[in-house]
Amino acid sequence: MSVTHVELPASSHIHPPPDTFIKKYVFSLDHKVIAIQYFITAGLFLVFAGLLAELMRVQLMGPNNHVLSVAVFNQAYSLHGTAMVWLVGIPIVTGAFGNLIMPVQIGARDVAFPWLNMLSFWMLPVAGILVFASLLFGAPQAGWTEYPPVSLQLPLGESLSLWCAGVFVIGVSSTITGLNFLVTIVKMRAPGMTYTRMPLFVWATGVTAFLSMIATANLSAALAGLFIQHNFGVPFYDVTRGGAPVLWQHVFWFYSHPAVYILILPAFGIVSEVIPTFVRRPIFGYKAIAYSSAAIGLLSFMVWAHHMFTSGLQHWEQLFFMLLTMVIAVPTGIKIFSWVTTLWRGKIRLDSPLLFVLGFLSTFTLGGITGVMLASVPADAQEHASYFVVAHIHYVLFGGTIFGIFAGLYYWWPKMTGRMLDERLGKWHFWLMYIFFNLTFLPMHWAGLMGMPRRVATYDPMFAGTNLFVSISSFVLAASILIFIYNAYRSARYGEPAGPNPWGARTLEWMIPSPMPYYNFRDVPIVLSGPYDYGKPLPYANISQDLAMTPVR
Amino acid sequence: MKLEQREPLLDSGFWRAVAVMTVISIVLMVGVVVFPVEKYLPEAANISKPIDDLFKFCAFFGAPIFVFINGFLLYFSIRYRRRPDEPIDAVGSEIHEHHGLEVTWTIIPSLLMIVLAVLSYLVIPMYYPTNQAFASAVTLEAIGHKFYYEFRYPGLKQSVMNELHLPIGVPVTVDLTSAEDEQDVHNGAVIHSFWVPEFRVKQDMIPGIVIPIHFTPSEIGMYRIVCSEFCGLGHSHMWGKVIVQTRAEFDAWYADQQRAAASPIAAPLSLAGGNPSAGQTIFNAKCTVCHNAAPFAQRKVGPGLAQLFDDPDHPDLVTGKKATPDNVADILEHGAHGDMGVMPNMQANGLTPKDVADLVAYLRTLR
Ligand code: HEM
Ligand SMILES: [Cu+2]
Repeated sequence: MSVTHVELPASSHIHPPPDTFIKKYVFSLDHKVIAIQYFITAGLFLVFAGLLAELMRVQLMGPNNHVLSVAVFNQAYSLHGTAMVWLVGIPIVTGAFGNLIMPVQIGARDVAFPWLNMLSFWMLPVAGILVFASLLFGAPQAGWTEYPPVSLQLPLGESLSLWCAGVFVIGVSSTITGLNFLVTIVKMRAPGMTYTRMPLFVWATGVTAFLSMIATANLSAALAGLFIQHNFGVPFYDVTRGGAPVLWQHVFWFYSHPAVYILILPAFGIVSEVIPTFVRRPIFGYKAIAYSSAAIGLLSFMVWAHHMFTSGLQHWEQLFFMLLTMVIAVPTGIKIFSWVTTLWRGKIRLDSPLLFVLGFLSTFTLGGITGVMLASVPADAQEHASYFVVAHIHYVLFGGTIFGIFAGLYYWWPKMTGRMLDERLGKWHFWLMYIFFNLTFLPMHWAGLMGMPRRVATYDPMFAGTNLFVSISSFVLAASILIFIYNAYRSARYGEPAGPNPWGARTLEWMIPSPMPYYNFRDVPIVLSGPYDYGKPLPYANISQDLAMTPVR
Repeated sequence: MKLEQREPLLDSGFWRAVAVMTVISIVLMVGVVVFPVEKYLPEAANISKPIDDLFKFCAFFGAPIFVFINGFLLYFSIRYRRRPDEPIDAVGSEIHEHHGLEVTWTIIPSLLMIVLAVLSYLVIPMYYPTNQAFASAVTLEAIGHKFYYEFRYPGLKQSVMNELHLPIGVPVTVDLTSAEDEQDVHNGAVIHSFWVPEFRVKQDMIPGIVIPIHFTPSEIGMYRIVCSEFCGLGHSHMWGKVIVQTRAEFDAWYADQQRAAASPIAAPLSLAGGNPSAGQTIFNAKCTVCHNAAPFAQRKVGPGLAQLFDDPDHPDLVTGKKATPDNVADILEHGAHGDMGVMPNMQANGLTPKDVADLVAYLRTLR
């Protein structure tokens, strides 16, 4: 096999590997180590936030329960939502997966600004400590959305300031990461990697980076307003002194709707990587999937007020936001149809990464359908702020983002650690999680439509049966994650070595050893065509072919 | 490659799977159409059915999408699994685009969305009045308080708390807002929501804005009013009632209210004969939203009330008066406004004079 050897550009130089523990594992500049730092930190927050959810479900096992006081219950759901969105979801899908995979998939040796990358990461524990420290002062109680005026009234003292500061910090981190990733993708692709040869995970990460960079500043603005009103009395959101409570809602959702796409697009990217690998055929509709990510990214700035259909919008505003919200379902649909079609006539291997992807497609579809139901202004009148919305967000964020995260973890674990996870445990994890996810969240649609509002510590006894059922299912759902934790531990102790390419995939991260070496590529790879042409020779020059040819496990 | 040339791309197994999914879809779609919503949740206003129909429209077309996606996931992942006897590096079909298919699955959902948007837009004016066309309707005011609803009827001097009486078949416009009189930072007005699930009406009550909402009750009965916008510690218990009555019943109720307004000074409350155990029942039903039967420090919204009458640290009530039975009854009757928030008055809490007597008797038994 003749491989053209290409000299590195004169400007590129290799820093020596870090020599101290602190430089290597604590203040690391290496994107792969930073990714693992994100996984571990956000994983811890996931456990906290999950425990808060289970506390809520204990309280809700029956009407008029007194396990938690109302105030503690409110704090539990507020910090649960805050943490799941900002300390778990966004850091994992961008900071962790984006860092671990994106630079390698474009053939780069690191991100554009490693130092900023380190800074972004270190903001996560700071933000987490600020947010959870608000518990010491009686945390905020108005949910992750913290609508004023009520958010300004309930926590007496410092907790709202801490909450604002924490979310602000993670917002800045997210903005910086966005900038960093966008520059990396635009400037640092290997020779020959045109935009239409980029892996779809890179497309997704690129659009996400754009959203994080542009949208997050609005969150910062909204938070600054809340903080200033709370501490210095400038009445941004106070109607009696010339402000407007609805102002917060507009600015908050102008960020937070794009944010839901920050949460889901990278998961879409993971799905697009896992499917061709385990179906052993080119992904169907590469361009449609790539461009629909871009379309979603743009449209996501034009639908924010669909969260505010009951906040007294004008008629034309209702029509505008309804139409665009429905339009955004179309590119989402295109992706799902393309993925399903890719399964057709494949040679499918049902390993755990693919199982989680199938679970994703199955549950996310329902979340998309309920999304359209919520987009219809009159239908939303019944559904808004009820358990129906709670069900919707969990179908898209748990059924979507969390299933996507686990698909990605099972898929890239060997690459990240150099060891395999146990397949049997993976399958147990999947089936328990899939079944009990649905048992937990499906009944909530019904409760919501029948009149159960969200954010309540007690409810009409007519909902008792549903809630007990939901609570019990949620306990099993949480327990299923223990299987993963055990699997990870088992892999560290006894896992079989993975080799560079255990799944026989074709993107660049699989062309180098596992775990990935410092600086990733000895020579900069050259890309000759797209990454998903199974059955054809590998589309790279300048890589070590003997690694790449490792057969499928 | 060779395989693909020999057998048709879409084989008989594929069509069998499609047939099964079609049957399931049709069953579900018919199910959606005939589903008797009103058996589970009355459609008690004129707009309920149009709104349910929009929901059904989404469910009608959502059902086949859901069935086909899940069906294909299941069918493909079984049918196209790599068999153990196939080579380990076997690959699947190379077909990776098909313009007809891709255009179809772009156009059809787009059309569906446009139809849904148009249908939805036609329903909106039914409950958000666009112009003076609703001038003929009776206009009521509804004001959200922490944590109860106040209703003002035209021609009625006093407000009605937590109970909205409406005559059947009469179009009403309800002007919704949040209490403006509660304005300081800690107790200021907040956003509430007026949700009557049986009507399919939900509208936020926002401080400083009046939002009219329009509907015609169409079924006699008693329905829930639920606050669905988090409004504070009492949010979980912020419930009211809508009572839809015949015209005659409504007129009788209305006349009663007018009579009550005409005799302004009601007889002073008498605390004699208060029954502590009846008081306990009322306390648990109505007061535990905001109070514990525990020492002062164990507050919820308001203070714990167990040592109300003999707490050396708190000899005075929030009104600044001594903690005597009469002064406590005064708070129960008129409500109170202090550092911790606003306590609703007797009407808002739905208390009769007898209830007040029972409650005071009960509170006196607490230690
Ligand atoms: C087909 C695509 C989707 C449509 C049409 C859609 C539509 C909507 C609408 C109209 C609402 C507001 C409901 C209400 O408050 O009354 C909503 C809420 C929400 N959606 Fe979606 N959605 C879609 C997909 C997603 C995705 C992909 C995510 C995130 C991964 C997401 C996350 C959320 C969240 C978190 C909320 C609730 C926010 C809150 O009030 O706490 N949605 N969605
Ligand atoms: Cu949204």
